[in-house]
Amino acid sequence: MKNSRLSFVAFLMLCFLSATINAQDIQVKGIVKGKSDSMIEILSGANVYIKGTTIATSTNKRGEFTFPRKLKAGDVLVFSFLGYLKKQVRIRPNSTYLNVILEEDDNEILGAPMSAKRFKSKRNKQK
Amino acid sequence: MRILGLTLFLWITYSVSAQQSDFKDFNFKKVDFVAKNYKAKRLYDLNNITYNLTKDFDTEVEKFRAIFIWITHNISNDYKLYAKNSRKRKRFKDDSIKLEEWNSKFKKIIFKKLIRKKRTICTGYAYLLKEMSDVIGVKAEIVHGFGKTAEVDVEKLEDPNHSWNVVNLNGKWYLCDPTWAAGISYPDKGKFVFSFNDGLFLTDPNLFIYNHFPIYEQYTLLPKPPSLKEFAHFPLLYSDSYTLLESHIAPKEMHQEIVQNDVFQFEYKLASAVKIEDQAFKLVTVSSVMEKTYKPEVSMNGQQVILKHQFKRRGFYDVHIYMNDSIIASYTFNIKKAP
Repeated sequence: MKNSRLSFVAFLMLCFLSATINAQDIQVKGIVKGKSDSMIEILSGANVYIKGTTIATSTNKRGEFTFPRKLKAGDVLVFSFLGYLKKQVRIRPNSTYLNVILEEDDNEILGAPMSAKRFKSKRNKQK
Repeated sequence: MRILGLTLFLWITYSVSAQQSDFKDFNFKKVDFVAKNYKAKRLYDLNNITYNLTKDFDTEVEKFRAIFIWITHNISNDYKLYAKNSRKRKRFKDDSIKLEEWNSKFKKIIFKKLIRKKRTICTGYAYLLKEMSDVIGVKAEIVHGFGKTAEVDVEKLEDPNHSWNVVNLNGKWYLCDPTWAAGISYPDKGKFVFSFNDGLFLTDPNLFIYNHFPIYEQYTLLPKPPSLKEFAHFPLLYSDSYTLLESHIAPKEMHQEIVQNDVFQFEYKLASAVKIEDQAFKLVTVSSVMEKTYKPEVSMNGQQVILKHQFKRRGFYDVHIYMNDSIIASYTFNIKKAP
Protein backbone atom coordinates (compact mmCIF):
# COMPACT_ATOMS: atom_id res chain seq x y z
CA MET A 1 0.00 0.00 0.00
CA LYS A 2 2.72 2.37 1.10
CA ASN A 3 4.71 1.28 -1.89
CA SER A 4 2.05 2.09 -4.45
CA ARG A 5 1.48 5.54 -2.95
CA LEU A 6 5.19 6.21 -3.24
CA SER A 7 5.26 5.18 -6.86
CA PHE A 8 2.27 7.42 -7.54
CA VAL A 9 4.13 10.40 -6.09
CA ALA A 10 7.17 9.48 -8.14
CA PHE A 11 4.98 9.30 -11.23
CA LEU A 12 3.59 12.77 -10.53
CA MET A 13 7.05 14.18 -10.02
CA LEU A 14 8.20 12.64 -13.25
CA CYS A 15 5.29 14.20 -15.12
CA PHE A 16 6.11 17.57 -13.60
CA LEU A 17 9.80 17.21 -14.40
CA SER A 18 9.32 16.24 -18.02
CA ALA A 19 6.86 19.12 -18.46
CA THR A 20 9.49 21.61 -17.35
CA ILE A 21 12.10 19.98 -19.62
CA ASN A 22 9.70 20.27 -22.53
CA ALA A 23 9.25 23.93 -21.87
CA GLN A 24 12.97 24.57 -22.40
CA ASP A 25 14.20 21.83 -24.67
CA ILE A 26 13.30 21.32 -28.26
CA GLN A 27 13.21 17.98 -29.97
CA VAL A 28 14.41 18.73 -33.50
CA LYS A 29 13.51 16.59 -36.48
CA GLY A 30 13.75 17.34 -40.13
CA ILE A 31 14.73 16.50 -43.64
CA VAL A 32 17.84 17.45 -45.66
CA LYS A 33 17.80 17.92 -49.41
CA GLY A 34 20.38 18.96 -51.97
CA LYS A 35 19.70 21.46 -54.73
CA SER A 36 21.57 21.65 -58.01
CA ASP A 37 20.68 23.47 -61.24
CA SER A 38 18.67 20.60 -62.54
CA MET A 39 17.02 19.07 -59.50
CA ILE A 40 16.35 18.81 -55.79
CA GLU A 41 17.12 15.45 -54.22
CA ILE A 42 17.08 13.84 -50.83
CA LEU A 43 20.47 13.65 -49.14
CA SER A 44 20.97 10.42 -47.29
CA GLY A 45 23.94 10.39 -44.92
CA ALA A 46 24.10 14.17 -44.52
CA ASN A 47 25.92 15.27 -41.39
CA VAL A 48 23.98 17.24 -38.74
CA TYR A 49 25.86 18.59 -35.73
CA ILE A 50 25.80 21.30 -33.10
CA LYS A 51 28.26 23.95 -34.20
CA GLY A 52 31.66 23.62 -32.58
CA THR A 53 30.91 20.21 -31.06
CA THR A 54 30.92 16.57 -32.08
CA ILE A 55 27.31 16.06 -30.98
CA ALA A 56 25.92 14.84 -34.25
CA THR A 57 23.67 12.62 -36.23
CA SER A 58 23.17 11.86 -39.88
CA THR A 59 20.15 11.60 -42.14
CA ASN A 60 18.62 8.22 -42.97
CA LYS A 61 17.80 6.81 -46.38
CA ARG A 62 14.80 9.12 -46.67
CA GLY A 63 16.94 12.15 -45.82
CA GLU A 64 15.31 12.44 -42.38
CA PHE A 65 16.91 12.93 -39.00
CA THR A 66 15.92 13.17 -35.36
CA PHE A 67 18.56 15.02 -33.40
CA PRO A 68 19.70 12.77 -30.53
CA ARG A 69 19.83 15.55 -27.99
CA LYS A 70 17.17 18.08 -27.13
CA LEU A 71 18.21 21.58 -28.13
CA LYS A 72 17.68 25.01 -26.72
CA ALA A 73 16.58 28.09 -28.61
CA GLY A 74 19.74 29.80 -29.87
CA ASP A 75 21.71 26.59 -30.50
CA VAL A 76 23.16 26.40 -33.99
CA LEU A 77 22.90 23.23 -36.06
CA VAL A 78 25.28 22.72 -38.99
CA PHE A 79 24.19 20.65 -41.99
CA SER A 80 26.88 19.36 -44.30
CA PHE A 81 27.33 16.95 -47.16
CA LEU A 82 30.43 16.67 -49.34
CA GLY A 83 29.91 18.57 -52.56
CA TYR A 84 27.33 20.93 -51.07
CA LEU A 85 27.76 24.20 -49.23
CA LYS A 86 27.37 23.93 -45.46
CA LYS A 87 24.33 25.49 -43.91
CA GLN A 88 23.87 26.74 -40.35
CA VAL A 89 20.45 26.98 -38.75
CA ARG A 90 19.75 28.78 -35.49
CA ILE A 91 17.21 26.90 -33.42
CA ARG A 92 14.07 28.85 -32.42
CA PRO A 93 11.45 27.81 -29.86
CA ASN A 94 9.25 26.59 -32.71
CA SER A 95 11.98 24.79 -34.69
CA THR A 96 10.63 21.30 -34.26
CA TYR A 97 10.74 20.32 -37.91
CA LEU A 98 13.45 21.67 -40.21
CA ASN A 99 13.32 21.49 -43.97
CA VAL A 100 16.93 22.11 -44.95
CA ILE A 101 18.08 22.58 -48.53
CA LEU A 102 21.82 22.59 -49.26
CA GLU A 103 23.08 24.30 -52.39
CA GLU A 104 25.43 22.36 -54.60
CA ASP A 105 28.94 23.77 -54.46
CA ASP A 106 30.01 25.28 -57.73
CA ASN A 107 33.13 23.40 -58.70
CA GLU A 108 34.72 22.02 -61.80
CA ILE A 109 35.85 18.44 -61.39
CA LEU A 110 39.33 17.77 -62.68
CA GLY A 111 42.10 15.32 -62.12
CA ALA A 112 45.41 14.42 -63.66
CA PRO A 113 46.95 11.56 -61.72
CA MET A 114 50.68 11.33 -61.11
CA SER A 115 52.07 8.49 -63.19
CA ALA A 116 55.39 6.72 -63.07
CA LYS A 117 55.93 7.18 -66.79
CA ARG A 118 59.06 8.73 -68.17
CA PHE A 119 58.82 11.55 -70.65
CA LYS A 120 59.12 10.65 -74.30
CA SER A 121 59.24 13.46 -76.80
CA LYS A 122 56.94 13.41 -79.77
CA ARG A 123 59.79 13.76 -82.18
CA ASN A 124 61.09 10.41 -81.10
CA LYS A 125 57.74 8.79 -81.68
CA GLN A 126 57.41 10.16 -85.17
CA LYS A 127 60.74 8.96 -86.36
CA MET B 1 35.52 39.61 -55.27
CA ARG B 2 36.76 36.62 -53.33
CA ILE B 3 39.71 36.34 -55.68
CA LEU B 4 40.49 40.01 -55.26
CA GLY B 5 40.35 39.62 -51.51
CA LEU B 6 42.71 36.69 -51.65
CA THR B 7 45.09 38.57 -53.92
CA LEU B 8 45.22 41.38 -51.47
CA PHE B 9 45.67 38.98 -48.61
CA LEU B 10 48.46 37.11 -50.36
CA TRP B 11 50.12 40.37 -51.16
CA ILE B 12 50.13 41.38 -47.54
CA THR B 13 51.19 38.07 -46.04
CA TYR B 14 53.63 37.04 -48.75
CA SER B 15 57.17 36.42 -47.66
CA VAL B 16 60.10 35.22 -49.70
CA SER B 17 59.97 31.51 -49.16
CA ALA B 18 57.06 29.53 -47.88
CA GLN B 19 57.75 25.91 -47.18
CA GLN B 20 57.89 22.97 -44.87
CA SER B 21 61.14 24.19 -43.34
CA ASP B 22 59.14 26.93 -41.58
CA PHE B 23 58.03 24.11 -39.33
CA LYS B 24 61.32 22.29 -38.96
CA ASP B 25 61.07 22.53 -35.18
CA PHE B 26 58.00 20.33 -35.35
CA ASN B 27 58.43 16.61 -35.27
CA PHE B 28 55.57 15.13 -37.22
CA LYS B 29 56.36 11.55 -36.16
CA LYS B 30 53.59 11.35 -33.58
CA VAL B 31 51.08 13.11 -35.82
CA ASP B 32 51.91 10.79 -38.72
CA PHE B 33 51.62 7.73 -36.50
CA VAL B 34 48.21 8.74 -35.17
CA ALA B 35 46.89 9.73 -38.60
CA LYS B 36 48.12 6.59 -40.34
CA ASN B 37 46.40 4.41 -37.76
CA TYR B 38 43.13 6.27 -37.66
CA LYS B 39 40.38 4.26 -39.31
CA ALA B 40 37.16 5.47 -40.88
CA LYS B 41 35.29 3.26 -43.26
CA ARG B 42 33.11 5.91 -44.81
CA LEU B 43 33.13 9.67 -44.84
CA TYR B 44 29.57 10.49 -43.84
CA ASP B 45 30.50 11.87 -40.46
CA LEU B 46 33.33 14.11 -41.55
CA ASN B 47 32.94 16.41 -38.55
CA ASN B 48 33.58 13.59 -36.06
CA ILE B 49 36.29 11.97 -38.17
CA THR B 50 38.19 15.24 -38.35
CA TYR B 51 37.67 16.01 -34.69
CA ASN B 52 38.87 12.61 -33.49
CA LEU B 53 41.79 12.61 -35.90
CA THR B 54 43.11 15.95 -34.68
CA LYS B 55 42.04 16.14 -31.02
CA ASP B 56 45.44 15.13 -29.61
CA PHE B 57 47.24 18.05 -31.25
CA ASP B 58 47.37 21.69 -30.27
CA THR B 59 48.87 23.59 -33.18
CA GLU B 60 47.33 24.40 -36.55
CA VAL B 61 50.19 22.82 -38.48
CA GLU B 62 49.99 19.53 -36.55
CA LYS B 63 46.23 19.30 -36.99
CA PHE B 64 46.54 20.09 -40.68
CA ARG B 65 49.36 17.58 -41.05
CA ALA B 66 47.14 14.90 -39.49
CA ILE B 67 44.42 15.62 -42.05
CA PHE B 68 46.88 15.62 -44.94
CA ILE B 69 48.41 12.33 -43.83
CA TRP B 70 45.02 10.74 -43.30
CA ILE B 71 43.73 11.75 -46.73
CA THR B 72 46.87 10.70 -48.56
CA HIS B 73 46.89 7.31 -46.85
CA ASN B 74 43.19 6.54 -47.15
CA ILE B 75 41.81 8.03 -50.34
CA SER B 76 42.77 6.23 -53.52
CA ASN B 77 42.94 7.69 -56.99
CA ASP B 78 40.32 6.34 -59.31
CA TYR B 79 41.85 6.28 -62.75
CA LYS B 80 38.67 5.06 -64.43
CA LEU B 81 36.80 8.08 -63.15
CA TYR B 82 39.56 10.32 -64.41
CA ALA B 83 39.56 8.71 -67.85
CA LYS B 84 35.78 8.93 -68.12
CA ASN B 85 35.79 12.56 -67.10
CA SER B 86 38.51 13.59 -69.53
CA ARG B 87 36.73 11.77 -72.34
CA LYS B 88 33.47 13.57 -71.68
CA ARG B 89 35.10 16.93 -71.12
CA LYS B 90 36.87 16.62 -74.42
CA ARG B 91 33.67 15.64 -76.20
CA PHE B 92 31.65 18.55 -74.78
CA LYS B 93 34.49 21.03 -75.01
CA ASP B 94 32.64 23.37 -77.37
CA ASP B 95 29.20 22.84 -75.89
CA SER B 96 29.05 24.70 -72.60
CA ILE B 97 25.51 23.51 -71.76
CA LYS B 98 26.35 19.86 -72.17
CA LEU B 99 29.64 20.34 -70.37
CA GLU B 100 27.83 21.89 -67.44
CA GLU B 101 25.26 19.11 -67.39
CA TRP B 102 28.00 16.51 -67.42
CA ASN B 103 29.92 18.30 -64.70
CA SER B 104 26.83 18.41 -62.51
CA LYS B 105 26.10 14.73 -63.02
CA PHE B 106 29.72 13.82 -62.54
CA LYS B 107 29.92 15.79 -59.30
CA LYS B 108 27.28 13.52 -57.79
CA ILE B 109 29.10 10.40 -58.90
CA ILE B 110 32.39 11.77 -57.57
CA PHE B 111 31.15 12.65 -54.12
CA LYS B 112 29.22 9.40 -53.72
CA LYS B 113 32.36 7.45 -54.60
CA LEU B 114 34.42 9.55 -52.25
CA ILE B 115 32.03 9.15 -49.32
CA ARG B 116 31.26 5.45 -49.75
CA LYS B 117 34.37 4.00 -51.34
CA LYS B 118 37.04 6.56 -50.44
CA ARG B 119 38.05 6.77 -54.07
CA THR B 120 38.29 9.98 -56.05
CA ILE B 121 40.25 12.17 -58.45
CA CYS B 122 42.16 15.41 -57.85
CA THR B 123 39.28 17.74 -57.13
CA GLY B 124 37.90 15.22 -54.64
CA TYR B 125 41.19 15.21 -52.75
CA ALA B 126 41.41 19.00 -52.79
CA TYR B 127 37.77 19.32 -51.75
CA LEU B 128 38.12 16.90 -48.87
CA LEU B 129 41.26 18.66 -47.63
CA LYS B 130 39.42 21.97 -47.70
CA GLU B 131 36.35 20.59 -45.91
CA MET B 132 38.34 18.85 -43.18
CA SER B 133 40.51 21.93 -42.67
CA ASP B 134 37.33 23.92 -42.29
CA VAL B 135 36.27 21.69 -39.37
CA ILE B 136 39.46 22.55 -37.44
CA GLY B 137 39.21 26.23 -38.39
CA VAL B 138 42.12 26.24 -40.85
CA LYS B 139 41.54 28.14 -44.06
CA ALA B 140 42.30 26.16 -47.20
CA GLU B 141 41.31 26.84 -50.80
CA ILE B 142 41.01 24.61 -53.84
CA VAL B 143 43.24 25.66 -56.73
CA HIS B 144 42.46 24.62 -60.29
CA GLY B 145 45.10 24.68 -62.97
CA PHE B 146 47.48 22.78 -65.17
CA GLY B 147 49.33 19.83 -63.73
CA LYS B 148 52.34 18.83 -65.78
CA THR B 149 53.37 15.18 -65.92
CA ALA B 150 55.23 13.12 -68.51
CA GLU B 151 51.92 12.33 -70.14
CA VAL B 152 50.69 15.89 -70.56
CA ASP B 153 51.25 17.48 -73.93
CA VAL B 154 52.57 20.90 -73.03
CA GLU B 155 51.92 22.27 -76.50
CA LYS B 156 48.21 21.74 -75.91
CA LEU B 157 47.66 23.26 -72.50
CA GLU B 158 44.14 24.55 -73.10
CA ASP B 159 41.93 23.16 -70.38
CA PRO B 160 42.88 22.92 -66.74
CA ASN B 161 43.42 19.29 -65.75
CA HIS B 162 44.37 19.29 -62.08
CA SER B 163 43.38 20.62 -58.65
CA TRP B 164 45.45 21.17 -55.52
CA ASN B 165 45.34 23.42 -52.42
CA VAL B 166 46.66 26.51 -50.77
CA VAL B 167 46.40 26.54 -46.99
CA ASN B 168 46.83 29.31 -44.47
CA LEU B 169 48.84 28.37 -41.40
CA ASN B 170 49.63 31.00 -38.79
CA GLY B 171 48.74 33.74 -41.24
CA LYS B 172 50.91 32.54 -44.11
CA TRP B 173 49.87 30.71 -47.29
CA TYR B 174 51.41 27.39 -48.32
CA LEU B 175 51.05 24.96 -51.21
CA CYS B 176 50.24 21.28 -51.16
CA ASP B 177 49.04 18.63 -53.58
CA PRO B 178 47.18 15.82 -51.81
CA THR B 179 46.51 13.90 -55.05
CA TRP B 180 50.10 13.55 -56.09
CA ALA B 181 51.24 13.06 -52.50
CA ALA B 182 48.96 10.01 -52.15
CA GLY B 183 50.59 7.82 -54.74
CA ILE B 184 51.12 6.78 -58.30
CA SER B 185 48.58 5.70 -60.92
CA TYR B 186 49.33 3.03 -63.48
CA PRO B 187 46.82 3.81 -66.25
CA ASP B 188 47.71 0.77 -68.36
CA LYS B 189 46.95 -1.57 -65.50
CA GLY B 190 44.07 0.53 -64.21
CA LYS B 191 45.72 0.48 -60.83
CA PHE B 192 46.67 2.93 -58.10
CA VAL B 193 49.44 2.36 -55.57
CA PHE B 194 49.63 4.31 -52.31
CA SER B 195 53.10 5.82 -51.96
CA PHE B 196 53.26 8.91 -49.79
CA ASN B 197 55.34 11.80 -51.08
CA ASP B 198 56.24 14.20 -48.28
CA GLY B 199 57.69 16.63 -50.83
CA LEU B 200 54.19 17.74 -51.80
CA PHE B 201 53.31 18.91 -48.29
CA LEU B 202 53.97 22.66 -47.84
CA THR B 203 56.19 22.71 -50.91
CA ASP B 204 58.49 25.59 -51.81
CA PRO B 205 56.56 27.64 -54.43
CA ASN B 206 59.72 27.89 -56.56
CA LEU B 207 59.75 24.11 -56.97
CA PHE B 208 55.97 23.58 -57.05
CA ILE B 209 55.65 25.84 -60.12
CA TYR B 210 57.52 23.34 -62.31
CA ASN B 211 54.50 21.03 -62.32
CA HIS B 212 51.63 23.28 -61.18
CA PHE B 213 50.32 26.29 -63.06
CA PRO B 214 47.19 27.77 -61.41
CA ILE B 215 44.45 29.52 -63.39
CA TYR B 216 44.78 32.51 -61.05
CA GLU B 217 48.39 33.53 -60.84
CA GLN B 218 48.30 34.68 -57.23
CA TYR B 219 47.98 31.02 -56.26
CA THR B 220 51.56 30.43 -57.43
CA LEU B 221 52.55 32.25 -54.20
CA LEU B 222 55.41 33.69 -56.24
CA PRO B 223 56.23 37.41 -56.38
CA LYS B 224 56.77 37.15 -60.16
CA PRO B 225 54.63 34.34 -61.58
CA PRO B 226 55.70 32.95 -64.96
CA SER B 227 53.41 33.00 -67.99
CA LEU B 228 51.67 29.83 -69.14
CA LYS B 229 54.06 29.67 -72.08
CA GLU B 230 57.08 29.91 -69.81
CA PHE B 231 55.58 27.18 -67.64
CA ALA B 232 55.10 24.95 -70.70
CA HIS B 233 58.80 25.29 -71.47
CA PHE B 234 60.09 24.53 -67.97
CA PRO B 235 62.09 21.32 -67.54
CA LEU B 236 59.88 18.40 -66.58
CA LEU B 237 60.22 17.32 -62.95
CA TYR B 238 58.85 14.14 -61.42
CA SER B 239 57.25 13.01 -58.20
CA ASP B 240 60.60 12.09 -56.64
CA SER B 241 62.05 15.49 -57.49
CA TYR B 242 59.93 16.82 -54.65
CA THR B 243 61.57 14.62 -52.05
CA LEU B 244 65.11 14.85 -53.41
CA LEU B 245 65.36 18.48 -54.48
CA GLU B 246 65.04 21.77 -52.70
CA SER B 247 65.38 23.61 -56.00
CA HIS B 248 66.05 23.14 -59.68
CA ILE B 249 68.61 25.74 -60.72
CA ALA B 250 69.73 25.09 -64.31
CA PRO B 251 68.91 24.82 -67.16
CA LYS B 252 65.84 27.03 -67.01
CA GLU B 253 64.19 25.50 -70.07
CA MET B 254 63.35 21.99 -71.09
CA HIS B 255 64.66 22.28 -74.63
CA GLN B 256 68.31 23.04 -75.33
CA GLU B 257 70.03 23.75 -78.64
CA ILE B 258 73.75 23.11 -78.35
CA VAL B 259 76.76 22.34 -80.49
CA GLN B 260 78.42 18.95 -80.73
CA ASN B 261 81.11 18.38 -78.06
CA ASP B 262 79.76 21.18 -75.88
CA VAL B 263 79.99 20.48 -72.17
CA PHE B 264 76.60 21.14 -70.68
CA GLN B 265 75.94 21.95 -67.03
CA PHE B 266 72.96 20.91 -64.90
CA GLU B 267 72.55 22.43 -61.46
CA TYR B 268 70.36 21.46 -58.50
CA LYS B 269 70.06 22.02 -54.80
CA LEU B 270 69.31 18.86 -52.85
CA ALA B 271 66.74 18.82 -50.06
CA SER B 272 68.36 19.34 -46.67
CA ALA B 273 68.33 15.74 -45.42
CA VAL B 274 69.26 14.16 -48.76
CA LYS B 275 72.70 12.61 -49.25
CA ILE B 276 73.64 11.18 -52.63
CA GLU B 277 76.92 9.49 -53.56
CA ASP B 278 78.64 10.74 -56.71
CA GLN B 279 78.07 7.44 -58.47
CA ALA B 280 74.32 7.58 -57.84
CA PHE B 281 73.86 10.33 -60.46
CA LYS B 282 73.01 9.10 -63.92
CA LEU B 283 72.37 10.80 -67.22
CA VAL B 284 70.36 8.89 -69.79
CA THR B 285 70.06 9.93 -73.41
CA VAL B 286 67.32 8.53 -75.60
CA SER B 287 67.31 8.94 -79.35
CA SER B 288 64.88 7.41 -81.78
CA VAL B 289 67.10 4.39 -82.04
CA MET B 290 68.84 3.84 -78.74
CA GLU B 291 69.17 4.59 -75.06
CA LYS B 292 72.52 5.23 -73.40
CA THR B 293 73.44 5.72 -69.76
CA TYR B 294 76.32 7.95 -68.73
CA LYS B 295 77.99 8.95 -65.48
CA PRO B 296 78.12 12.74 -65.49
CA GLU B 297 80.99 14.61 -63.87
CA VAL B 298 79.71 15.49 -60.41
CA SER B 299 80.75 18.38 -58.20
CA MET B 300 79.04 18.93 -54.89
CA ASN B 301 79.24 21.84 -52.52
CA GLY B 302 77.04 21.15 -49.51
CA GLN B 303 73.58 20.56 -50.98
CA GLN B 304 74.51 22.23 -54.27
CA VAL B 305 75.12 19.76 -57.11
CA ILE B 306 76.58 20.46 -60.53
CA LEU B 307 76.50 17.75 -63.19
CA LYS B 308 78.55 18.15 -66.37
CA HIS B 309 78.26 16.13 -69.52
CA GLN B 310 79.85 16.41 -72.92
CA PHE B 311 77.44 15.66 -75.76
CA LYS B 312 79.55 14.02 -78.42
CA ARG B 313 76.95 12.87 -80.90
CA ARG B 314 74.73 14.98 -83.06
CA GLY B 315 71.00 14.50 -83.13
CA PHE B 316 67.83 14.95 -81.13
CA TYR B 317 67.77 13.40 -77.68
CA ASP B 318 65.55 13.14 -74.65
CA VAL B 319 67.86 13.56 -71.67
CA HIS B 320 66.91 12.22 -68.25
CA ILE B 321 68.66 12.82 -64.94
CA TYR B 322 68.49 10.12 -62.29
CA MET B 323 69.46 10.32 -58.63
CA ASN B 324 69.52 7.15 -56.53
CA ASP B 325 67.64 5.34 -59.33
CA SER B 326 64.79 7.87 -59.23
CA ILE B 327 64.13 9.96 -62.29
CA ILE B 328 64.12 13.60 -61.28
CA ALA B 329 64.14 15.64 -64.50
CA SER B 330 63.77 15.41 -68.28
CA TYR B 331 65.03 17.69 -71.03
CA THR B 332 65.29 17.63 -74.80
CA PHE B 333 68.51 18.40 -76.63
CA ASN B 334 69.18 19.20 -80.23
CA ILE B 335 72.88 18.73 -80.80
CA LYS B 336 74.12 20.35 -83.96
CA LYS B 337 77.33 20.23 -85.92
CA ALA B 338 79.90 22.82 -84.94
CA PRO B 339 79.85 25.71 -87.43
